[in-house]
Amino acid sequence: MPFTAKSGKFNASINTVEIGTGDKAIKIGGENVLPLYSFDAPIENAPKVGIEITDFGMENEPDCIKKYYEGCDTLADIAKKAASFEGVDFLCFRMEGGDPNGANKTVEELIGALKEIAAVVDLPLAVAGCKNAEKDAQLLSKAAEALDGKNAMFLSAKEENYKTVGAAAGLAYKQIVGAESSVDINLAKQLNVLMTQLGVNPKSVVMNVGTATAGYGFEYVVSTMDRIKAAALSQNDTNLQMPIVTPVASETWSVKESVSSEADVPEWGCQETRGIDMEVETAIADIASGSNAVILKHPTSIATISNLMKELV
Amino acid sequence: MYKVTFKFENSEDVTVFAAFGESLLEVARKTNVAIDAPCSGNASCGKCKVKLISGELDSKKTRHITDEEYKEGWRLACVSTISADVEILVPDIASAYRSRMKVADLSSPDEIKIFDDIKSSITEAGIELKNNLEIIELHMEVPTLDDTMPDNERLVRAMRAATGMERVKLPYSVLKKLPDVLRKEAFHVKTVIRKTPRDLFVYDIFPASQEVIVAGAAIDIGTTTVSAILINMLNGTILAKGSSGNGQIRYGADVINRIIESDKPGGKERLQKAVIEETINPLIHNMCRQAHIKKQNIYRMCIAGNTTMNHLLMGINANPLRMEPYIPTFFKTNSLFAQDIGVDVNPDAHIILAPNIGSYVGGDITAGAFVSMLWNKPEFSLFIDLGTNGEIVFGNSDFMMSCACSAGPAFEGGDISCGMRATDGAIEACTIDAETMEPDFRIVGAPGTKPIGLCGSGIIDVISELFRCGIIDPKGKFVREGERVKRDAFGMGSYVLAFEADAGSVKDVEITEVDIDNFIRAKGAIFSAIRTMLAYCDFDISMIENVYVAGGIGSGINMENAINIGMFPDVPLEMYHYIGNSSLAGAYAMLYSTASERKVYEIAQNMTYIELSAIPQYMDEFVGACFLPHTNASLFPNR
Repeated sequence: MPFTAKSGKFNASINTVEIGTGDKAIKIGGENVLPLYSFDAPIENAPKVGIEITDFGMENEPDCIKKYYEGCDTLADIAKKAASFEGVDFLCFRMEGGDPNGANKTVEELIGALKEIAAVVDLPLAVAGCKNAEKDAQLLSKAAEALDGKNAMFLSAKEENYKTVGAAAGLAYKQIVGAESSVDINLAKQLNVLMTQLGVNPKSVVMNVGTATAGYGFEYVVSTMDRIKAAALSQNDTNLQMPIVTPVASETWSVKESVSSEADVPEWGCQETRGIDMEVETAIADIASGSNAVILKHPTSIATISNLMKELV
Repeated sequence: MYKVTFKFENSEDVTVFAAFGESLLEVARKTNVAIDAPCSGNASCGKCKVKLISGELDSKKTRHITDEEYKEGWRLACVSTISADVEILVPDIASAYRSRMKVADLSSPDEIKIFDDIKSSITEAGIELKNNLEIIELHMEVPTLDDTMPDNERLVRAMRAATGMERVKLPYSVLKKLPDVLRKEAFHVKTVIRKTPRDLFVYDIFPASQEVIVAGAAIDIGTTTVSAILINMLNGTILAKGSSGNGQIRYGADVINRIIESDKPGGKERLQKAVIEETINPLIHNMCRQAHIKKQNIYRMCIAGNTTMNHLLMGINANPLRMEPYIPTFFKTNSLFAQDIGVDVNPDAHIILAPNIGSYVGGDITAGAFVSMLWNKPEFSLFIDLGTNGEIVFGNSDFMMSCACSAGPAFEGGDISCGMRATDGAIEACTIDAETMEPDFRIVGAPGTKPIGLCGSGIIDVISELFRCGIIDPKGKFVREGERVKRDAFGMGSYVLAFEADAGSVKDVEITEVDIDNFIRAKGAIFSAIRTMLAYCDFDISMIENVYVAGGIGSGINMENAINIGMFPDVPLEMYHYIGNSSLAGAYAMLYSTASERKVYEIAQNMTYIELSAIPQYMDEFVGACFLPHTNASLFPNR
């Protein structure tokens, strides 16, 4: 008897979310199959790759990143350069310096920097905060105003500041709001419910359900993403059908495998190779578990993932 | 050494000397000055507020005390240390747990009905309502020079003749009064005896014409509240009832803190003393006065309490209960007598303990499960006892499963800034106008009583109403602004139920985001425990046909509101039955009916205990349940 493969496609699907405007706009989500299961049904929008830069420019970056930005003097130069690498679908600006426990840059200064970047880059934009909920509420609200009409993505609203961020980015300026929770399906869903009850269109919400670097308790990430996709697709849980966007670079470029120099641990070999490996492995594991977009830093990692997606989807 | 004077609103000063740096709360404890400290002095509950009248205290300012209150001299006893001679006013609010003792006759028809209903359902279940205590009247020959048998032998011989029992035991207490009583009415006496198939025990002896009441006491020892009834053992009527805060409260609000305290030097004795000498004995004393009987006429007691309470009552080391693998010293015991632990009743009175079945499912649950009668029904029922520990039993006449979850003291008003037990001044029910956000509430106590705080049933109502009116979001955070919604310096929201001017206390009666969060955790613990246990046996909520809710969290819970906030499963309201203090009712049944006592032992034997902490799914369920009504809204389709 011939073997007839049965399609594993679902009646429900992940929301399609468009980020950016014009020719360069990208779409994420939309699939009605498990992550990368393009053999069950076509996946219209392959997972996308973003590149991350911060307001510190190249100041805190490792040499293996810096060398790609040689000759870039201003943040605008860096942004232009970043947007030009192979496989970059969108640009993410992380306002790291806003952290009150760090450089504590003012909202005005950071929004100024954001405007500089927005003026020179035509790729879709994502804006990430400084991880301090209170400051992010101000930063992201102002950023939403500054990027009015750009259909940008704001990463992220958390339980502590979803009202401010959701109201500014989602309601007032109709941008895309990221909802960030910490590796727990219930917390992810709760924030989506709160956000929708606030009035934000669920089709304008993406999730950052949290990640770790592969090998650092990553099984929790896999299980959370797996179950979110399973609930979204098999149970048609509309509160979990938002696409998942996972910032990877900010995780992987802080673990010892990526930051220890070759001089310190010669037996580990080349630092750049290690950093790329950690970033690529984490990114592909996130995608295989259900991320619809990942945000990376090293141009080689970005090209690798981008090419892999072209092959797989 | 410094002189510390405690002053009270209604009683005499207490003066004591203390060393520099000693904690005021510790000084108060050592001196037996009652200051309520449910958090065990961790500065987290804010209940130990005292007022500095003169002198000095080295005291930290905490979030429980406003600038204004601090200026007026209000301090938390637990964060205050002695640095000079000082005079302290201990307000009634702080020492209230002691005076909260209430003794009353059972005048309310509702309450009488609860016990009548229990009696009839026990009879319907084919269980005999009878115990082995009785009064036997004896006529003996008056001794003469020719008949020189000693008094005790004479009594025993008469007893054998009257009952046909060979073995008759006379305790010392009877022997002691024997010669006088026998001679009062020419060797015509009444005896109070216990008859078992093997032997006969004489508890007491009276002149024949004396009116004798054979009394028994049923006591529910809750972590927070102790309730008791005094009954006539011969006909089951209730002679008096009483309730009081558990005197152990000042050593910690929950069982874990109590166990920790009991592990300190002298701790076992302190905790035993707090529950027996300061709680049970005064309760018995007051009930006996109310019923006009003597304490010595209480010949049997039945105590239902959780496993920790049972251990602490008996002065047994409870520490293994909180240490993995959580092993209690006993589940049941038959060898406890009043004189062993100093309970002030007839010294030979047998104390029956409702059996425990797990380290955190105790006699209160086995007794409660008995009176819920779920063991006698073919359909599946859920029994929920809301207390500091939430305990749940699910099953029918074929099987029973039980589990316990730590709900915290929120249902009884603990860990809630304006929380209190269901005593005078507690808001026990509430509605809120969705338009104006104005509350309307019912207060425990005489008409005109001003609100002081919220008890469990009131908190359920307030949170359900705040949520219904869109004042809080499903996470319990304030999303509407108005005159009654306040924000403190840290941005934390609160809803004012009664402004200071209308309140019976020194500040606004309010519910804060932290309170709501605490309560959401408590209700989340209950609901997730129900779901986890049902899932564990491959059942789901649709299979439940009866839900019995027990616990003393108010005169009654608004079940609809409890479902609205996702505390109880969304099944039709008519399936819910509030059965009051089922632990006390069960203790009553065990006390009055020997067959019921045996049945409770049988139930305890047949109940399977599930340790929730061993089920990984529980944590997931818990996080999902910490949302109004639930993260999975499809579990509450009718809300």
